[in-house]
Amino acid sequence: MDTTDPSKPQAGPSGDPDVTDRRADTELGIAGTTMRTRGVWPERLFHAFTGGAAWFVLLILLAVTYSMASGGWLAFKTFGFAFVTSDKWDVVNGQFGALVPIYGTLVTSAIALIIAVPISIGIALFLTEIAPAWTRQPIAMAIELLAAVPSIIYGMWGLFMFAPFMATHIEPWLNDHLGSVPIIGPLFTGPPIGIGMLTAGIVLGIMVIPFIASVARDVFNAVPASLRESAVALGATRWERLCHVTLPHTRSAIVGAIFLGLGRALGETMAVTFVLGNAHDLSVSLLMPSNSIAAAIANEFTEADTALYRSSLIALAFMLFVVTFIVLSIAKLMLARVERNMGRTH
Amino acid sequence: MKPQDTPIKNSLISTPEPSESKVPAGKSVKIDIRDLNFYYGKSQALHSVTLPIPDYAVTAIIGPSGCGKSTLLRTINRIYSLYPEQRAEGEILIDGKNILRKADLADLRRRVGMVFQKPTPFASSIRANVAFALSYYEKLAKWEQDERIEQALRQAALWDEVKDKLNQSALSLSGGQQQRLCIARTIAVRPEVVLFDEPTSALDPISTARIEELLHELRGQFTIVIVTHNMQQAARVSDKTAFFHMGELIEFDDTSRIFTNPSVARTQDYITGRYG
Repeated sequence: MDTTDPSKPQAGPSGDPDVTDRRADTELGIAGTTMRTRGVWPERLFHAFTGGAAWFVLLILLAVTYSMASGGWLAFKTFGFAFVTSDKWDVVNGQFGALVPIYGTLVTSAIALIIAVPISIGIALFLTEIAPAWTRQPIAMAIELLAAVPSIIYGMWGLFMFAPFMATHIEPWLNDHLGSVPIIGPLFTGPPIGIGMLTAGIVLGIMVIPFIASVARDVFNAVPASLRESAVALGATRWERLCHVTLPHTRSAIVGAIFLGLGRALGETMAVTFVLGNAHDLSVSLLMPSNSIAAAIANEFTEADTALYRSSLIALAFMLFVVTFIVLSIAKLMLARVERNMGRTH
Repeated sequence: MKPQDTPIKNSLISTPEPSESKVPAGKSVKIDIRDLNFYYGKSQALHSVTLPIPDYAVTAIIGPSGCGKSTLLRTINRIYSLYPEQRAEGEILIDGKNILRKADLADLRRRVGMVFQKPTPFASSIRANVAFALSYYEKLAKWEQDERIEQALRQAALWDEVKDKLNQSALSLSGGQQQRLCIARTIAVRPEVVLFDEPTSALDPISTARIEELLHELRGQFTIVIVTHNMQQAARVSDKTAFFHMGELIEFDDTSRIFTNPSVARTQDYITGRYG
């Protein structure tokens, strides 16, 4: 006789007057099975819940991608690859090209990170290593409050306060001093109107600082005390310790914090709409108005009266998706390379 | 059971001489701790400790958890001054100079190295780990630096295992190797004193044995102070042993005497395992 089928353990042993050791075997099997039936439901539910939550994200992602791709299909079909390479955005004649918004998005985000990364890391290092204990909490709170300010507030501040300030103080100075420098000169020439890629990039930078800074602070706080002490015990000064021990140790987590800021900068809509100028003109100068993908969609969606126009805006959203994906992938690859070359680069 | 019959004594016999001969009587004092009190905020962790640590010998500090043995070690290189709420009162004279009062901390830490309980390799290459402090104190040509790195790694008995992968991440080493790397990093700057804070308590028995061998090889080259909760280890590696309890120094004597015939009853109770 075969061993009892574990799926119906109750039936087996009682009706089986077979050899005793086999019975013992089966009884063990029963014990095992009953224990499992008792523990199995919470286990399965938990598994299903967490698994479902994870798949849900993927599903949403696929759904969003699909609806954008299908919504933008008309635009892609009409313009082909030129949709990405053309800088023409001519509503009247029905010509749409995404180059200007893509360029504006990338440039403003780059300016934002150039400004935000050093400041955020400085804030985080100050808060974890240098600031006296009693100042840490208030400053950390202030940073978190800054993160909670709605982006429209930043936009209004940017338009009414910061852009005029840029126009009267910063941009004329840039024109005079950097405008004639070879290579980078063209970036800083143009009428100082205050609204443009530089202003938008700076406002974006201010907006992402709290995100990068608060994550970086947590990361630096998590550096084990023993590591700090080892560096100090070897005679390292604070600066040497931070540069050669803390930053290398936290490298990948800091890059993660920067990604978070970058994600926000790429997709930020409201504040950028206020200060970027919404002009579909390709210009090298950072002082000139431009457009970003998110700002273009927000501004023009209500006015999109033809199917092709609407489709082009959805296709633009799809491009934002693609751009974000590419930028984050490049960053990931760069990080992987740094990790691999760590020995050689240090 | 008399303390003489404990396994501790057996392990003592089985080791190659407790090397009493290495510390001749009247040998000079390297670190002279006088009337040291230590406070964590309001709570006092050390009570007027007076302990003369001899030159070029291995001094073990033993005692139950919380007895202040690590605290004592952390005053000798003043690592405690990282934390503003911790303070020390009294005198610690190294070569006659009180390092508690006025000291160039970077110089102090070059002369007094420290190896911690858990291996703490930095997230960089093996070479960069050893060169870490070297570059702060000495301006060395590339070849000189390479030579010093090799020398330190040889002294730490790690050279043969890492010589072909100096550019690899130090984090790729095993725990025992990481700890030897930390020792190499510490002795690379040629300190006079090396403090070991329970250097093997996070390691497996084989790695522990290697570190102990290493301690044997390093004795005589540096003044070594080792904190350990492992009494057999203290008996095996040290020349002198100090027994601490509740922040007080109970007894300080030659290791062989502490483990065979201590003069204080409390020491005897501890080494025979009656408490601790």
